[in-house]
Amino acid sequence: MEHVRMSRFQTVLRGVVVGLGAIVFLFPFYYILIGSLQRKPDPSVAGAFPNPANITGENYVQINERIDLFRGLLNSGIFTAGVLIGTLIFGLLVGYALAVLQWRGRGVTFALALLVQVVPFQLLIVPLYVLIARDYGLADNYLGIILPFFINSTAVIIFRQYFLQLPKELFEAARIDGASELGVLWRIALPLVRPALVTVVLLTFIGPWNEFLWPFLVTKEASLQPLAVSLANYISNVAATASNPFGATLAGAAVLAAPVVVLFIFFQRYFISTDIGSGVKG
Amino acid sequence: MRENRKEREFRRIGGQIVPRRTRRRTLGAAATLVAGALLLTACSQGSAKLTNDGHGPITIWYSNNEQEVQWGKQMVASWNRDHPDETIKGQEIPAGKSSEEVIGAAIAAGNAPCLIYNTAPSAVGQFEKQVGLKNLSKIPGATKYIEDRSGAVAKQYQNAKGDYFQMPWKSNPVVIFYNKKIFTKAGLDPENPQLSTYADFLASSEKIVASGAAENAIHPAPTSEFFQSQFDFFPLYAAETGGEPFLKDGKATFADQAGYDVADFWHTLYKNGLAGQEQYQGDAFAAGQSAMAIVGPWAVAVYKDVDWGAVPVPTKNGMPADKIWTFSDAKNIGLYTACKNQGTAWDVLKYSTSPDEDAKLLDLTGQMPIRKNLATTYAGYFAEHPEYKAFGDQASRTVEVPIGPNTVEMLQTFRDAWTNSVIFGRGSVKQSLNGAATKIDEIAKQP
Amino acid sequence: MTTAVSDRSSKPMTTVWHRIFGRNPLGLLFSAPYLVFVIAIFAFPLLYSVWISFHDFFFAAPGAKVATPFVGFQNYITAFSDPRVIQSFGNVGIFLLINVPLTVVLSLVIATALNRVTHWRGFLRFAYYVPYLSASVAVVAVWLFLFSGTGLVNQILGPLAPNPSWLINEGWAMPSIALFVTWKQLGFYILLYLASLQSVPKELYESASTDGAGPVRSFFTVTVPGVRQATVLVLLVSTVTGANLFTEPYLLTGGGGPNGSSSSPVLIMYQQGLQQGHPDVAAAIGVVLVILVLIIAFLQNRFAGGRD
Repeated sequence: MEHVRMSRFQTVLRGVVVGLGAIVFLFPFYYILIGSLQRKPDPSVAGAFPNPANITGENYVQINERIDLFRGLLNSGIFTAGVLIGTLIFGLLVGYALAVLQWRGRGVTFALALLVQVVPFQLLIVPLYVLIARDYGLADNYLGIILPFFINSTAVIIFRQYFLQLPKELFEAARIDGASELGVLWRIALPLVRPALVTVVLLTFIGPWNEFLWPFLVTKEASLQPLAVSLANYISNVAATASNPFGATLAGAAVLAAPVVVLFIFFQRYFISTDIGSGVKG
Repeated sequence: MRENRKEREFRRIGGQIVPRRTRRRTLGAAATLVAGALLLTACSQGSAKLTNDGHGPITIWYSNNEQEVQWGKQMVASWNRDHPDETIKGQEIPAGKSSEEVIGAAIAAGNAPCLIYNTAPSAVGQFEKQVGLKNLSKIPGATKYIEDRSGAVAKQYQNAKGDYFQMPWKSNPVVIFYNKKIFTKAGLDPENPQLSTYADFLASSEKIVASGAAENAIHPAPTSEFFQSQFDFFPLYAAETGGEPFLKDGKATFADQAGYDVADFWHTLYKNGLAGQEQYQGDAFAAGQSAMAIVGPWAVAVYKDVDWGAVPVPTKNGMPADKIWTFSDAKNIGLYTACKNQGTAWDVLKYSTSPDEDAKLLDLTGQMPIRKNLATTYAGYFAEHPEYKAFGDQASRTVEVPIGPNTVEMLQTFRDAWTNSVIFGRGSVKQSLNGAATKIDEIAKQP
Repeated sequence: MTTAVSDRSSKPMTTVWHRIFGRNPLGLLFSAPYLVFVIAIFAFPLLYSVWISFHDFFFAAPGAKVATPFVGFQNYITAFSDPRVIQSFGNVGIFLLINVPLTVVLSLVIATALNRVTHWRGFLRFAYYVPYLSASVAVVAVWLFLFSGTGLVNQILGPLAPNPSWLINEGWAMPSIALFVTWKQLGFYILLYLASLQSVPKELYESASTDGAGPVRSFFTVTVPGVRQATVLVLLVSTVTGANLFTEPYLLTGGGGPNGSSSSPVLIMYQQGLQQGHPDVAAAIGVVLVILVLIIAFLQNRFAGGRD
């Protein structure tokens, strides 16, 4: 998609720079993979390259013996799914309302969405815990884990920004044609919001998937803990007893990262631009 | 999107135009929100009986150390067999950095379990202040039970008024582990290491690092968490002073010659590159990166692949091994007020600290029950495991952190001064210890 | 030109209804779940924390009778007469000065480049996202490994390596953390910019091209203004996230670093509030932090997002 003509040199240069950057970015993650497959940690420069003599799947076996990786992934999945559902449904509604509709309290709601982001979690954590564990009685409960994260405020802002960028004429045209507000939302806005949906899914996924502190506080039952928590517990205490503690930790980290990686690769394809410009001109 | 250009009439919030009139409405809306929020939570004030005598099922927490989990599970199983109406449910909590935060939050929310077999003495004062712990001294016969079991060291676990808010359970007397293979490689005698005086210790360390046998002679965590000083300063100070506590009569004790000597010793180790200044991911001793470790017997399970030996911590001019004190690194049991069946909880407490269960604890974990006459009571065990004999002997000479509500703050103040002057060599060691002592004296005055 | 079209509501309304609920009360309905959520989960703890900051307070077991007298601004004074607290705010300032501009510039440049490359597009995008996807806890282990005194980075740098090395170096600790966090978060912002770039009309580029603008020129005249909304968002989110820095100092430097040079206000809040049992002082620090961030966000909005 070349909009601007670049000289051959510039194109190649761009490619090289981007490629080099990619390698730098990827390197630690690559190191996680390599490290998780090593029998003994090798801190030298040569250790960065896979050494057939040092490869083993044992780290994965060892960490799985101590923490149930599958169960942890399942719990992480439930936690994240709950947050995704809440954000995609209710966050989208709010974002749409903030961007397109005129109503009383619009400014306050937007200010709230911003405020929620500004306030650090550590300020709220004990009162929040008291609220959820004592007042709502939701300790050791999936709902208790999900609740503070249920609707991601960053997603609300992203949805709002996205809807703001859609031309007003589209909505007006639909209204003139006699569609109700709900109809406008359902038939016009939703189909167009796909790139934002993809963005929001990818971004909202990370938070609960990697979240450690809150589920750690709220759950004591090992069978309910998301993988990020089990992994952190493992690192802090049990890893030392494994034959390659560093490797076992990295194995857990690789397992934790794998589904997200897969999700990203899968969703890449849906990251297409909708040609809004021509929709209006049409 | 074409914006209205009447800037004065409108204000922008994050790119969105909001008429100025909205401000009053905004405040009104905010007030409604406040009222709504308060209303929601006003109805939920917990009414708990903080002291009771109930009998029935209870929940306990123990640390997630593998061996302790083993012990915990068998203890729970054997109790449950005999008490079907008063069953115990056991859960693990991480032993590491964050267990105090978890317990503190649980107290605030009222869902702490009945017993926690991982209560750190440094946090007990705070939990007591929060009215989270039950005063064991109020239970008939409890004081006698505690003191009969633990002997003279029990007194260290009393609060300022002489009450017990924790049951002393197990200790991990801190000693010096050394790697025999590395010592041999460095040309040192693995069976008679010269580690009892500062001079000898330093000389051995120099030799290890110079010969390349290990990267560091010793590598305690150089980070600033409040509890880390328990594994470098404390043990040596206890040894040097023959068991002086950190705080005496509300005053910090460590700004004395013994304290300066200990600090200078560590300072030299760091300055000469014999101890690592960066945190190591994992266990440096187990990985062979460090020739020595300063830790208690719980680590033996971690060091199963290392050919190790253990000696008491060094003192400036050397002392006979049976006179050397050290830090206890104790973990105790707390009975929490959130418990609805405190009668059962006390019974379980006694059961789990009986001579039988203590024997199992010793056997499964290698950690020392805080029981007097350990060596004679479990002579059989020590005969079978001679390498643990030194720990058993050491367990009778341990010093604890001060018990009080401000202990963590005091330890953090000390640690900050320590990392600055001793580990990173900024400023005079003496001055920084003096400064910390003054601050700690102030903190000790707070309620 | 009729302006009434966009004001139309879906049901026949009386003016009273309009006055109470605004022109399109459906908006309130749509937002209700979110508002309930925020009130139920967020408002109470926040208000409670603010209340705590004005009292001599600690968390006690429910049912316990403890005195929590009102002490006005005492907690604020205690907090801010502690040089470590002031230092932590300064540290976060350094962090933001490095992280925010770097983030905005790098993420836009990389997103623009990624938008145009044709070969290996999927792989390249993936590479830039990957740090963001991984849990901090694990990545930190690798980073510590790579940046330790004898680690790979210092081995490559040779004599150029700072001594003492990165994270234990008073001057380098915070910048190291800033670099780490920038690297780790960049994927998020690249994604935001990529989404925003999709709606910059192609025609603008084509007309710039016919006007004779090269790639650099058109970047500044078409791309940058075109994604202004996203830039405002990136600025805001990176500032807010940066101000609330906690995990990285906690994990990378274990609680404050050399001479407290990598402590952050939230780290101090954590130590004071959760470890030392002074939630009142912690709340005071938190309230001030929130106010400061709001001020900065407001200023950013005014200067970067204001003009049309």
